Amino acid sequence: MSAAIVAAKEIVDNFRDRQTLFYALLFGPVLVPLLLGGSLVATERQLSIDFDEVTELAVSGAELAPNLIGFLRTHNIDAVPAPDDPAVAVRRGELPLVLAIDARYGEALRAGRPAPLTLHLDDSDKDSSKAGRRVSSLLELHERTLNALRLQHRGIDPTLFDSLEITVADVSSEGAGGQLLASLLPFMFIMSMVMGGFYLAIDTTAGERERRSLEPLLTLPLSRGSIVFGKFAATLAFVVLSVLLTAISVWSLFQVFPIELPGGQVRFDAPTVTRALALASPLAPFIAALLIAVSAFTRSAKEAQTYLGLMMVFPIAPFFALQYFSLGTSAASVALPMLGQYQLLERATLGEPIPHGHVVLSVGGTLTAAALLLWLARRLYTRERVLG
Amino acid sequence: MIVATELHKRFRRPGARRGEAPLVAVESVSFTALDGAVTGLLGPNGAGKSTTLRMLATLIRPDGGQASIDGHDVTGDALAVRQRLGFMPHDAGVYPRLSARENIHYYARLAGLDAHAASRRTGELMERLDMTGFAERRAAGFSQGQRTKVALARALVHRPRTIMLDEPTNGLDVMATRGLRGIIRELAESGHCILFSSHVMHEVEALSDTIAIIADGRVAMVDSLGGILERTGEGNLEDAFVQATGAER
Repeated sequence: MSAAIVAAKEIVDNFRDRQTLFYALLFGPVLVPLLLGGSLVATERQLSIDFDEVTELAVSGAELAPNLIGFLRTHNIDAVPAPDDPAVAVRRGELPLVLAIDARYGEALRAGRPAPLTLHLDDSDKDSSKAGRRVSSLLELHERTLNALRLQHRGIDPTLFDSLEITVADVSSEGAGGQLLASLLPFMFIMSMVMGGFYLAIDTTAGERERRSLEPLLTLPLSRGSIVFGKFAATLAFVVLSVLLTAISVWSLFQVFPIELPGGQVRFDAPTVTRALALASPLAPFIAALLIAVSAFTRSAKEAQTYLGLMMVFPIAPFFALQYFSLGTSAASVALPMLGQYQLLERATLGEPIPHGHVVLSVGGTLTAAALLLWLARRLYTRERVLG
Repeated sequence: MIVATELHKRFRRPGARRGEAPLVAVESVSFTALDGAVTGLLGPNGAGKSTTLRMLATLIRPDGGQASIDGHDVTGDALAVRQRLGFMPHDAGVYPRLSARENIHYYARLAGLDAHAASRRTGELMERLDMTGFAERRAAGFSQGQRTKVALARALVHRPRTIMLDEPTNGLDVMATRGLRGIIRELAESGHCILFSSHVMHEVEALSDTIAIIADGRVAMVDSLGGILERTGEGNLEDAFVQATGAER
């Protein structure tokens, strides 16, 4: 009961603190997903080519190559007249791309020689470079057709020139890009949980001591255990709020910008995000207990910020560890708080099955660690040094 | 009633090496503070006043001796002691983002009052301590006098029989000090046991029924003002204090 009163007061108190609110409601849930997810969406948009999109292409000498123009039109590219000096127009950025058909094109084609075409583009410009790649790949396709026709015309089997038949069989379900993407979700979840409870934990423990309000509080007729548990519960509330908002914002980000993610298997749809959130949920009490224990140990809010700042390595370390070293998922690793959730959430994001045993180990290991930390925080509160 | 018998407390010096002699904050403190009376703990800074009060308030454990509040031992029965004790520490320690009313209400709830009773008690205390003018304002911009009132109201919220105040008039202006003295006298007259600490002679002289002179962690003398003057053969408390603590020897 007393713990509930302490928790309610700390929540109300900290909802009036702009710093706490910024980190709990904006930093983790909005800023991090926008920065990470936003850059992902932007990169994907710049790199991927939509061959179904109808675009115009400035072509000089279009009348010299009616077949080529027709081929491009069937691939959603409409030829429009080009300016007199294509190179200058592209250099000035007036046009992203100009295809110049040489006067000798038709003659060379008829004579069975390579027919000259010039593609004016600016490779340092992302739009120009992207348009160039789209047109080049279409031109190559057209060239292959012409090659085959020429060989058949001379009575030669075109497959004679295909000396290798290469099949790429990727056995991993995700590919390298997919793995990185899949680890973004646990990263964002853990980061938002830590940042969500960060300032509240400092404010209610080290901050309370610094403001000298701890001393009268400890002379009230209630146990120190219920004070610690109340502060833990308030921190937990902010941690949960922060991660819930993050889940909602990640899901809505990929709803607003539906992108085809590399690897094809990574998903941020509602069932995936919900499953990942459920797997990450034991981390909420663990992180709340960790924050309370560390800031109960320190003597001032400043010291607490330093220690907890160093603790920011925790959400980042497994991220890099999993990127650099190919750590296999084992019973021991899933039982470890943070690392276990990284591994399980990665698999959840990839839509892979997760053995029930691993879930049990992860939940059990993380909750045990949370209980130990809470016990430690209570111990720290019974020391005389807690008064500072 | 407070009974302290040979209370002793020592601390490890900050940054001290193992085996280094500890700092003795309280050597031996014995006194009795009766119900319905104001007892003043008079001593210079560093004499051990705050440490003594903290031991009585169950915040720290004595290393020797014993003490009880209304018959409950401060080490063995800390929760019962806290139920009967209202403590106003040296620093008011109010929550800056809560209003005066919320600060008091929070303590009332923690002391075991239900929501309704807590609201009523908070209203009563704010009326009594003349706090209605700033009841709904957040404590962040409060004057020292306003902060002290909030802290005093919090200490009184669970109707404790024993009230301890550590340097209560520190930082208060003349009018606020007069007001606080009036409240302390009233509380004593209604049967409360009041123990307060101060290093200001005339403060202790004006308020106390009993004075405990404390210096270097020891109680040098406990008596009424008249008794102390008689025993030391001095004409005023200041000279008597010097004589009792042997400061000039």
